[in-house]
Formats: sequence, C-alpha cells, structure tokens
Amino acid sequence: MEQVKLTAALVIAVILQWTLRNVAEPFAYIDFPLIIVVYAALQRNSMRAILFGTFSGLAVDALSGGLLGANGFSKTLVAYIVSEVARRVYMDNLLLRIPVIAGACFLDDALYYGLHRILGQEPSGQFLIVSSYTLIGTTIAGTFIYLFLDSFMTEKLAKGKREMFPTRRTTRRRNPIRLGK
Amino acid sequence: MVERSQKEVWKLTPWLVLILLLGNFILMAFDAREITSGQRIIRVWTQTIADFVQSPVTSISSGVTRYFSSIANLRSAQDENTKLQEQVYQLQLQIESTKGLSEENQRLKALLDFKDQSKLKVLPARIIGRDPSVWFDSSIIDRGSLDGVKLNMPVVANGGLVGRVTAVSPLTSQVDLVTRDKSGLGAVIGEIGSSTALGVVTGTSKKDVLEMKYVSGSTEVEVGQAVFTTGQDGIYPPGIKIGDIVQIISGSATTPHQIFIQPAAKLGSMQEVGVLLYEPPPRIPFEQKLTPPTKEKK
Repeated sequence: MEQVKLTAALVIAVILQWTLRNVAEPFAYIDFPLIIVVYAALQRNSMRAILFGTFSGLAVDALSGGLLGANGFSKTLVAYIVSEVARRVYMDNLLLRIPVIAGACFLDDALYYGLHRILGQEPSGQFLIVSSYTLIGTTIAGTFIYLFLDSFMTEKLAKGKREMFPTRRTTRRRNPIRLGK
Repeated sequence: MVERSQKEVWKLTPWLVLILLLGNFILMAFDAREITSGQRIIRVWTQTIADFVQSPVTSISSGVTRYFSSIANLRSAQDENTKLQEQVYQLQLQIESTKGLSEENQRLKALLDFKDQSKLKVLPARIIGRDPSVWFDSSIIDRGSLDGVKLNMPVVANGGLVGRVTAVSPLTSQVDLVTRDKSGLGAVIGEIGSSTALGVVTGTSKKDVLEMKYVSGSTEVEVGQAVFTTGQDGIYPPGIKIGDIVQIISGSATTPHQIFIQPAAKLGSMQEVGVLLYEPPPRIPFEQKLTPPTKEKK
C-alpha cells in the first residue's frame, strides 16, 4: 500500500512540475519530484528510490529544453546517495531531513548544471543565484510535504508523530526518603 | 556472497526486469528519432500525454486569475470610463481628419499597383506550459502537427520574434526562446537593403537580453535602433523585428561592436503567440552545387 501511495505522490509531483510554472513563475524554484525521490530514498529502499529518480527525471526532461536524461541522471545519483546515507545514519527525525533535502537539492542542481556545461550547453541564469532560490524553495516545500506524507502514511502515523520531535529520555530519580528506609 | 531465499529472489525479479526495461528504453529513446522530423520520439509522446493535464490546468488558472482581476478592475472602472469617453471624442475628431488622407493614400496605392507582399500565415496559439526545469525557458503551445505546425517554424508575439518550434507532437509543440544560448540568427540593424550593419544575434545568460555579434566596429549604430531578421539563417523569414538596442560597447576598426538587445516580445509574460507557417526555401547540398568532373576525351 505504501508503494502505491508513494508512486501516486511521485506522479502528482511530476504533474505539478509540468503545470505550476505556467500558473506562477516562483513555482519553478520548487523541485517537486526531487522531494518525493528523497522521501522514497529515506525509506531505505534504494532500488525504489533509484527507479523513482530515473522516471521522474526523464519525465521532466522530456518537456524541458535541456538535455534528455540530465535530470534522470542527477536524480538517480542523488537517490542512490541519500538511500545509502539513510541506510547507515538514523534519519527518521523531521529536523534531520531538512538538511538532507537541502543537500540533495544542491547536489541535484550542481550535477544538472555541470552535465550541461560539460556537454556544451549553457543553461540560462547564474548557477549560484538559481540554485540558491531552488534550494530555499525546495527545502521549505519539502518540509511541509514530508509532514503531510508522514501523516498520510497511516501505518506510520503513531511512529511518525512520536519521532518527529523525539523527547529526551529522562532518568528515573530515586526517592531519597525510600533510600533512607 | 549473500544467500537469498527463493521468496526474496521472487520479490527482486520484477525490479530487475524493470531496471533492464528502463535501461533499454533509455537507450532506445536516445537512439530513436522520427524519420521525417528528426526529433526525439520520447518528447513527442510525453508532450501528447502532458497536454491532457496542462491544458485544463492553464484554462482553470487563467479563469480564476481573470475573475479576481475583473473584480479588482471594477474599482477603477468609473474613472477609466470618463477618461475613455474623452478619448473617444478626441479620436473621432482625428478619424474625420485622417479619412481624407487615407482615401488619398488608397488612390495612390491603386495607381502604383501596390500588392501586399506578406505571404506568411499566422497560426494563433496559447501557451499551456512552461519549461519544468528552472534552468531553461522553453514553452509548450496548444498547436501541433495536426494544425500544420512543423519543426523550426518561427514563433512571434506582440510584433516581435519569440523563438522557433523545436519539438512537435500531434496536439502540442515545444518552442525554444531566442534568449536561449547558442540559438544564433542572422540579423540586421535597421531595414534590410538600406543598412550594412549585419551580424548574428544570440542569447545570453540573462533572461531578457540578447547579444548581437560580428557587427563591424566601423559601422555607426545607436541605442534605440531596431534589429530585424535577415533570413540568412535558413529558419526565420526576413523582416521580423527581434528587438531594440539597449546598450553598445563600441568596437574599433579591427574589433566588432558588442551590442545588447531587448527583445520586442515580452517573453516573460506572454500568454498567446503566433506560429508563422513559414518554410524556408530548400537549400541545395554543397555536393549537388558542384558539377562532377568530366574526363576529357583524347
């Protein structure tokens, strides 16, 4: 069931990426498919995350003026790296996911831009400016989408709520009166 | 070597098949080209699928925007109405005075046997999608090969050049803007025939600025002059306005001018465009131009 839900989320993310820029230009700075790809990678299923990365990347590339496969390449690599990190480091905490989505976004942009430059293409806009805006937009949107996805995945609701902001473990105090007894 | 149970292998097999299929598909997509147009088939398929989503979303969003903007416009409608009425009276007076001039003009035209030489047909189109990647600026229009759109057809808006068609599906087409780097087009400052300031216009890294290269440093150019296409690039017809000069870095007798142009079309905010159903005259391949050498009979 989780598989179906995540796939549906990815399809919706690709559709949003296709359409929202025509509604308002600032939406171009949110990478919706990347948010879902990173979320899938954080579930520690690397094969699924890689496939998500390739499919969503190609879907975006097909309607873009950029090179066909550039987004697919960058998102697949990002999905693999994030899933490998998630396999080794505990990242079920929402606060830890924020730097992960920010890092993934920057890496994705750097790879995409670098691939185009290597292959003799000149993307419009300066790298630092565009990637900064994308990083901010994607990180903010990603945080809210992760909150929504965590609550949407009903099986993990209780666990998700518990681990979103984990409480500090308190040591049990010994009663000095009882100790005296 | 990790031992996997049969159950695990069964679970993994569909994924492996998917990966292999995906790999094959990517390879095919890279290799496959439509024979007639030479474009990627994957782009054609995706554009056709995306049209069913993009068109309704654009219609709904523009409808909602129009509704709210119409409410906002009601406030200033009364003032505008008064001003417009004044303008109408003034214009009526002007029309009366120009009537005589236009009649004279018609007579002179008839005398000179003037013929309208513009043979270009314009196909109106609506922008239904923008480039999903923030790094590029291509647009998707709601006209495709079924409407007669073909690859490399020029696209115009607001009396200025927008770009050219780079991918065509049956229902939609992708338009690459002139601001995209590498998209060089032959251009002239001023009117063709009367001006010698020829050059090549290319995109820059900035979104609303074009650069004109190779204009001789000894040619006199001024800020505000209009730049038109020459048709020498074999894609765009001659005489379409590209934009106006906004900045000149003067060259010398040995170095060319560096000229920056603001596009005539509002590329950032356009909603409707026109596709020029123009096909450049076919070029004869270089080999065919040369006559094969004949052996002299002794």
